[in-house]
Order: sequence, then C-alpha cells, then structure tokens
Amino acid sequence: MTTAGPFIHSGQTNRKIMVMVLVSLSPSLVAALVRYGAGAGLVILSALAGAWLAELLLDREQAFDCTALVTGAIFALLLPPTAPWWLGLLGGAVAIGLGKHAFGGLGRNLFNPAALSRVLLMGVLPVYFFSTTWTIGGLTRASPLAKESGAIGPTITELLAGNTPGALGQAAPHAVLVGGLLLVLLRAIDWRIPLTYLAAVAFLALVLPASARIEGHAPWLLGNPLLHLVGGGSLVVAFFMLTDPVTAPFSPSGRIVFAIVAALYTMLVRFYTPYPDGAALAVLLANATVPLIDRATLARASGDAPLGATVLSTDSAAP
Amino acid sequence: MSPFARFLSTAREALYGRHIPRLKSTGDTAITQIEAPERVRLAIAGQVAVVEVGETVEAGDLVARTPEAVRFQRRVHASLSGTVTALSQEEVVIEGEVPDRPPITHSEPDWISPESITDTAREAGLIGMGGAMFPAYVKLSRVAPIDVVLVNGCESEPYLTCDQRVLEEQRGEVDCGTVLAMHAVEAERGLIIDRETYYPGGYERLLIRDVLGRVVPARGLPRDVGTLVINVQSALALHDAVCLGRPLIDRVITVDGGAVGRPGNYRVPIGTEVGHVLDACRVDVSKSAAILTGGPMMGRLAERLTPVTAGTGGVLALTAAELSRSRTQPCIRCGHCMEACPFDLPAAYLAETPHKAVLGCVECGACQFNCPARIPLVERLQRAKAVVTAWD
Ligand code: SF4
Ligand code: SF4
Repeated sequence: MTTAGPFIHSGQTNRKIMVMVLVSLSPSLVAALVRYGAGAGLVILSALAGAWLAELLLDREQAFDCTALVTGAIFALLLPPTAPWWLGLLGGAVAIGLGKHAFGGLGRNLFNPAALSRVLLMGVLPVYFFSTTWTIGGLTRASPLAKESGAIGPTITELLAGNTPGALGQAAPHAVLVGGLLLVLLRAIDWRIPLTYLAAVAFLALVLPASARIEGHAPWLLGNPLLHLVGGGSLVVAFFMLTDPVTAPFSPSGRIVFAIVAALYTMLVRFYTPYPDGAALAVLLANATVPLIDRATLARASGDAPLGATVLSTDSAAP
Repeated sequence: MSPFARFLSTAREALYGRHIPRLKSTGDTAITQIEAPERVRLAIAGQVAVVEVGETVEAGDLVARTPEAVRFQRRVHASLSGTVTALSQEEVVIEGEVPDRPPITHSEPDWISPESITDTAREAGLIGMGGAMFPAYVKLSRVAPIDVVLVNGCESEPYLTCDQRVLEEQRGEVDCGTVLAMHAVEAERGLIIDRETYYPGGYERLLIRDVLGRVVPARGLPRDVGTLVINVQSALALHDAVCLGRPLIDRVITVDGGAVGRPGNYRVPIGTEVGHVLDACRVDVSKSAAILTGGPMMGRLAERLTPVTAGTGGVLALTAAELSRSRTQPCIRCGHCMEACPFDLPAAYLAETPHKAVLGCVECGACQFNCPARIPLVERLQRAKAVVTAWD
C-alpha cells in the first residue's frame, strides 16, 4: 500500500470501460442478427471466439477484462454477413495477436487492432469482403458507396433503415447511433472524436470537387452528406474505432485534429479511388499520425501549465 | 467571476471535467469537545524546549521555541494543564487535563497596530491550519502590498467539514480574525469564501484564480498578486490570540469514514494521539482498512501514536469499500487524468517522461482518483518532480 494519497477512487476500471463498450456495441450486433439471421450470428460468434482465444493464449490475465471481446465485436461489424466462419475466427485472432500483442499488449498498440486485421485480411482475401452486390426487389444493387456502372444509388429511406448491402455494422445505423450516444453519455469515449469526424465527413461530402469516376459511375455520391454519414463504415468508425483511447491522441485538442485527418482520408478514398470505402484504412492512417499529434499538442499543453506551485508552501496550501 | 466566465466554467465542467465527489456527511454535526485525552505529544523539531521533565504546566504555557537567529520563528504551547512526562529533540509529552475554552468576551480592541497583530501571531505560535503549517506571522507582515485577504473556507477535500462548521458556529470570531488580518497587512478588502467548490478548488492558486481572476505567476506567491490567503481556522486562531490572548493549542477536526461509530466534528487539543481520537469516536478497528490524518485525497496514513497537528483537518477511518482498491493495469491512454487535472497536466506522460511542466503539479491526486488503470500517478509524479528539480 502506498503512503501517498489519494486513498479513494472513482471506482472506474479498464474492465468496466470495456464492459460499457461491449454493452454499447450490443444494439448493433442485435440489429445485424435480426436483419441477417444465423449467418450474422456465425460471423459474430466466430470473431468473438477468435479474438478471445487469441487473448487467452497470449495473456491469460487480460482475457477476463473484456478488451478482446470488444475487438472481436468491432471486427465482426466490419465483416459482410456472407463471410465464412473461419474468416471471423482468423480475423479476430489476427486483430488480437498482430494488432495488439505484437505491439506489446494492451495500451501499447499503435493501430486499432480490428481495423488492422480487416485491412490485412482484405489484402489477401478481397473476395470475401467485396462481394457485396445484392439483389433487392429484382434489381442488382451495389453497396451504397460502390462505384460500379449499372448499379442504382440507395434512397434515403433505404439508407436510414440500413437496407443496403454492406458489412454487419451497416445493418442498422440507428443501432450504432444509440450505442455511440450511450458511450458518450457514460463518458466512456470522448465526444469530440465522433462529433468532429462526422461533421468533417458531412462537410467534405459537400465541398470536395467531383471526379470523373464518380460522375460516370455513382453520381449519387455527390452532394449527399447523409449517404456518407450512414453508408459505409462512417458511424462504426466514428463511435467505436477512432474512439479507442489506446490508439487515439491523448489530449482533447489532439483528438480533434485526429478526427479531421481520418475524415479527410475517408472522403478522399470515397471520391477519388475505385474502392468503395476507406473508413477502416482511414482509421489506420489516423492512428499512424497519433505520435506526431501527441508530441505537438502535449508540448503546448505543458508549456501553458503554471510552474513553481511547489516553491514555498504557505498557509492553506492544501485544498 | 463574471457571469460569462462562470457560464464557461460550468459548461467546461459539464462537458469534460471529472469530478471528485464531496462525500461530506458531517456538515450538520455541531462541534463538540472530544473526550479528554490523557496525554498529548507536541512536535517541537527544530525548537528548543523551555520546560523540563516533571515540570507542571498550565495550558497555554510556552513549552518550546525556535532560537532567535532562526528565520521563521515558531512557538509551541502546552495544550493540556498538567505535567511534562517526557521530552526529546522531537517532542514534548504532557499528561493532564483539558482546559476550559475561555468565555468569548469578544472585545475587539479599539485600536491595535498592524505590527502588534503580527507580533501576537508570532508569539501565539500561529501556523497555517490549511495543512501547510507555515508560520502565520510571516504572511501577516507587510513585505508586499496586499489589497485583498481571502479567508479560505472551501474545504474541497472530500469528507472534511470542520472549516464549514467553524464558519457556521463561530462566524463572529472568524469575521473578527479576518478584519485583524486585513489590518495587519493593511488590505482594503477581505472576503470569506464559504461556497462549495470542486476539488481541489480550495487550493490557493485555484481559489485566487476563481475568485479574483488573478493568476499567481510561475514560481510566485499569492502576495505577488496582492493577495493573502488564510484558512478559516487560522482566522479563528488569530482572533483567539489577539482578542482572548489564547495561543494555538487546539483545533476542530472532522472524524469520519465508514468505520467510525460516532462521526462528527470535534475540538481536540493539538498533540492528541490519533489512537485516542479513534477510541473516543468509537472506531470499529475490524472494519477499518486505513487510518488517515487529513482528507482522503491528500491526507497521510497514520498510526495510533501519530499526533493531531495544527494542520490536521481530519482523522478518517475508511473501510475497504471506501478505499476501492484494484490491481494496477496498463495505461490505456484514456486521458481521464488530464481531464481531471485542475491545471490540465497530462499526468500519464509526466509520470513517465521528466518534463519541467511536472513542477506545476500540486499532487492533488485528482488524476489518480479518475485513472481506470489504477496507476499510482501521484507517487510517480512526485518521483518525476524530484528528477526535474535536480536539473536546476
Ligand atoms: S494514466 Fe490512467 S487516466 Fe491517465 S491515460 Fe493512463 S489509464 Fe487513463
Ligand atoms: S497532475 Fe498533479 S495537479 Fe494534476 S491532477 Fe494529478 S496530482 Fe493533481
């Protein structure tokens, strides 16, 4: 026991924060289950199992702190409902093994484990991630952000109902939103990150100049901020991935810069590349800028701090 | 504080302050005299005893003082009437009886010179009762122009309510002490701050910033911005010394915590052993997981033999549930420590990497209170401070 205070504590633990995140993820998981049925259930279970087993293998103590389950659940939200069970298992394990423990374990990873795992696996197994054209009402529909000629853009109602092809996390935007707002209210995440990210995405959707590719293949991507907010991975990224404290900047001002970087990258991919969505990649890119952002913002914060409070103790120095 | 500034600070707190709960449950308990202790241990380190073992003393008699040549003068007076039973370089032990508190005649002197107030404060052995225990007469001398005297009654440490009770029950004397302090430093204004505040809003620098909007410069003192801050009980003691001729021999403390059978506010002779306080307040030793002197944020672990000093605001006997211990985990960089810090210091970083900004840390513990990874930040910050201080 230490002799210096404080002797009381808020009662908060890493584990409780992780449980809050898990609870907040559950509306999205349930929505995916309701929408896609057993297929989604298999994806979710396999991702959770993959992450948790990897954690158990690599750090037995941490395994009961729920961090691996959070990573597994987020990874599941990034998978299409058609993904095979072994992909969930593999992805969850890669997220924990390579994304977290390869960097030294909890608190030391530079990249969001789920995003890293998804990007790594997408590189070698693209077919399981991209085969997302569906037939709805007799028409072949692409995922809302896809740039393929012949597809039809989603309507607003379809978007809001999550009635578009995509990953599990897109099944119900309102479920993601409910979970995200819960996290903000529980103060388990910093509200600045989702707010800044979503605002920047909407803003960029309005002001970025169009490219020939979009104009030719997917004109509905233009002037449609709502599509960019709820289509693709924006909401999951905003509330559950960028907000992972370990891989976000430390200071409040740094977090705002960080969210803007992520939004910019997301929108550049959507507007100027053939890929449907850059949200997961944007998370990794923004993660990579964190050490830089931290150095800049913390040097400033420390410079502002009053110095010398300890020089001469005087009356009523203790509060 | 202007309404706009107040609005800003409220909004700031709502959005990203991290609060320390007040946990004050003894605010309505009137001050009572504690059961008489058999003996007191008066700390006299650095002073010369003027009594001998076996000598009979009256409460209020001088028992030790610093030699004239010492820069900051201290005096210690007997807090019991009885016999000196032991004496060492460090302490004087007196066994005897608690004196009656003299009836309050409250005759404010018609005129008294500023110098004589300062002299009385020195001879009465007044020291800062907010915890710093620095001789009060030094601050009460006219070394720099002072225009405002702040009497600090914020008592932002959780659990403690003794200053609040003193303000409620002895407001007249505190007012008088405030006027005396104003007179001593020739200040035009005196403010008694009795509002509730956030922790550690009672910290001198924050109080001056919040109440007066003045920023105490880096490595500076309140007097650099024309301000004198004294604790409520220091003001009371100044009144007692000047108006009643009574040196500093007792104080009011809060006794609280889940293991305390009779929590409340007690007037105790200085030097009373913590063990006596625990017995008098019916502390259930089997329930108590930690005994502290002071508040739960900045207090210290105490033993039964630890004496109550002039700077002790409380004696707490906390249960395991109140301590809420949990094993230390890796830092998850959540930033809660920075959100909680009244000076916006990034504690997680400063605890790891020495940086001069750590000197601005006042060790209030707000960061550690909020750290979900249960990292002993204060201990690490203290170590970092020592490293940085060694650079100069
Ligand atoms: S030290 Fe504690 S409060 Fe600060 S960032 Fe790390 S885990 Fe969070
Ligand atoms: S860094 Fe220092 S001043 Fe800031 S909250 Fe922690 S202990 Fe208090």
